[in-house]
Amino acid sequence: FVSYQVEILDWKTKKQLCFLDKVEPNATIREIGLMFHKLYPRWYPARQSIKLDPKGKSLRDEEILQHLPVGTTATLYFKDLGPQIGWTTVFLIEYTGPLFIYFLFYFRMPFVYGLDERFTSSPHPVVNLACICHSFHYIKRLIETIFVHRFSHGTMPLRNIVKNCLYYWGFAAWLAYYINHPLYTPPSYGKKQINFAVIMFLLCEAGNFSIHVALSDLRRNGSKIRKIPYPTKNPFTWLFFFVSCPNYTYEVGTWISFTIMTQCVPVGLFTLLCFIQMTIWAKDKHCTYLREFKDYPSLRMPIIPFLL
Amino acid sequence: AQGHGAKGDNIYEFQIEFLEPVEPKPVYKVTQRQLNITVQKKESNWWERLTKQEKRWLDESDAEMELKEKEEEKINKMKIESRVPKDPFKHLKKGYLIMYNLVQFLGFSWIFVNMTVRLFILGKDSFYDTFHTIADMMYFCQTLALMEIVNSLIGLVRSPLIPAVVQIFGRNFILFVVLGSLEEMQSKPVVFFIFYFWSIIELFRYPYYMLSCIGIEWKPLTWLRYTTWIPLYPLGALAEAVCIVQSIPIFSETGKFSLGLPNPLNVTIQFSFLLQIYLIALFLGVFVNFRHLYKQRKQHLGPKKRKMK
Repeated sequence: FVSYQVEILDWKTKKQLCFLDKVEPNATIREIGLMFHKLYPRWYPARQSIKLDPKGKSLRDEEILQHLPVGTTATLYFKDLGPQIGWTTVFLIEYTGPLFIYFLFYFRMPFVYGLDERFTSSPHPVVNLACICHSFHYIKRLIETIFVHRFSHGTMPLRNIVKNCLYYWGFAAWLAYYINHPLYTPPSYGKKQINFAVIMFLLCEAGNFSIHVALSDLRRNGSKIRKIPYPTKNPFTWLFFFVSCPNYTYEVGTWISFTIMTQCVPVGLFTLLCFIQMTIWAKDKHCTYLREFKDYPSLRMPIIPFLL
Repeated sequence: AQGHGAKGDNIYEFQIEFLEPVEPKPVYKVTQRQLNITVQKKESNWWERLTKQEKRWLDESDAEMELKEKEEEKINKMKIESRVPKDPFKHLKKGYLIMYNLVQFLGFSWIFVNMTVRLFILGKDSFYDTFHTIADMMYFCQTLALMEIVNSLIGLVRSPLIPAVVQIFGRNFILFVVLGSLEEMQSKPVVFFIFYFWSIIELFRYPYYMLSCIGIEWKPLTWLRYTTWIPLYPLGALAEAVCIVQSIPIFSETGKFSLGLPNPLNVTIQFSFLLQIYLIALFLGVFVNFRHLYKQRKQHLGPKKRKMK
């Protein structure tokens, strides 16, 4: 029985931050992290990035010390990830903002369109419809965050929340401004265009919700093992035959339908940016799936069936 | 034997057939760094060699021989690969590039000479109708400059694509959009300075390219091409910035290229606002480009040779 010694160095300065004596060989990185936290209370485990190589990837919590390529005196490197905030908290703040910001414009607060137009309402029914859809979308997202999503990483860096909120809240304000403007022009093809858009919107929202439920069912018992998602009895999940990340596909579909419904360039721009961002995420996820599973279905594309 | 080594826990083993019999129980000593195994001979006498087989243990001179062989292989491989296939269009491409650079050089020389002569004859008054006399040639040269993007794109020229695109786009935006569409801007003095700075820089750039196509390097020209931009490029950018600042109120008033509500796209475009953003981008771009050009200068002019006393 050999007990290990672990020394933890700062990844940049290589200064020794701590020396742990008599560490069990089957200790996990999580346990080492807790010991480190006792010595440095301000660096709680979520903030710690422990690695074998100063420029390498972070070690996972479940890694066991004796299975790592280290000698009986292990040298690990520590990097401070900065103050962290929980994913759930972030999502709640990110999604509540657009919900209420839209209302400021919908109800025409005096500081938005001037005193003459304050608290008036639009003669176009599509404007009311747009408000309902927009609010429905963000309320659905809030419900999913609280009840449905299961996150694999607990936290993200605090500075991300400023960046994300600026993006979501800023765009919500910009598009709400034009949709609820007194000089708003309803869609050129009238009721046909609006009805088509509403149906597409509802289908995509239902699809997106189905996928989130299906993904969360994969991790029912709090297990952290990644599994391949498969189509279920729910027809909306049949998109899994063709696409790795159908939740992103449906999300883009929702925003396209909203663009058609409102016929508003800022909404279109937001849709485009969402599409670009989600394609990047989908490609990433797709590559991860391909790497981890040898028998991954070959028909699947990252986000658009057969194309992208 | 089970050991904990650099690659983690593993089982290690090896076999040696000794020349003559040995005692069956070797002694082991394990340290942090190595494993010592002591084996005793059954009979105490001199062994010609350690093992039954003739196979020599590798020593240092063997290692050197291996290295030499590997290097020779590498050199042979490189020789075969570097025999590039002959390009049948080589002369055609060179001819086209020389013609392109020559035409541009002539165009900008005409502009420069014309502006200088008018400056001497008319003095300050030449500022006000610079655009009127020079614009057509400048339109021609700058439109032709789009070929530089094509050349870089198809790999005819080795220079990188993005700086070329940024430069061409920037200049043509000023020329066609800001100056070309507003009559009021065309009679402003800043036009003189913009055109003058642009043409002086090109007077050095295009001949340098022409000569490098033929394969000649005239050191004074190289020096000029990689040094004159240091004052001229920022000055040119300054003139462009002044031009934009002067044009913003005009675009605001006339509403040119702007879209107001109501419109079926439900968006407002304020061109004057976009110009303000462009101004910020201009300064950032100049800063980035300056560093890039400075690096290029160092590469081409080489380190300065110290004078021996």
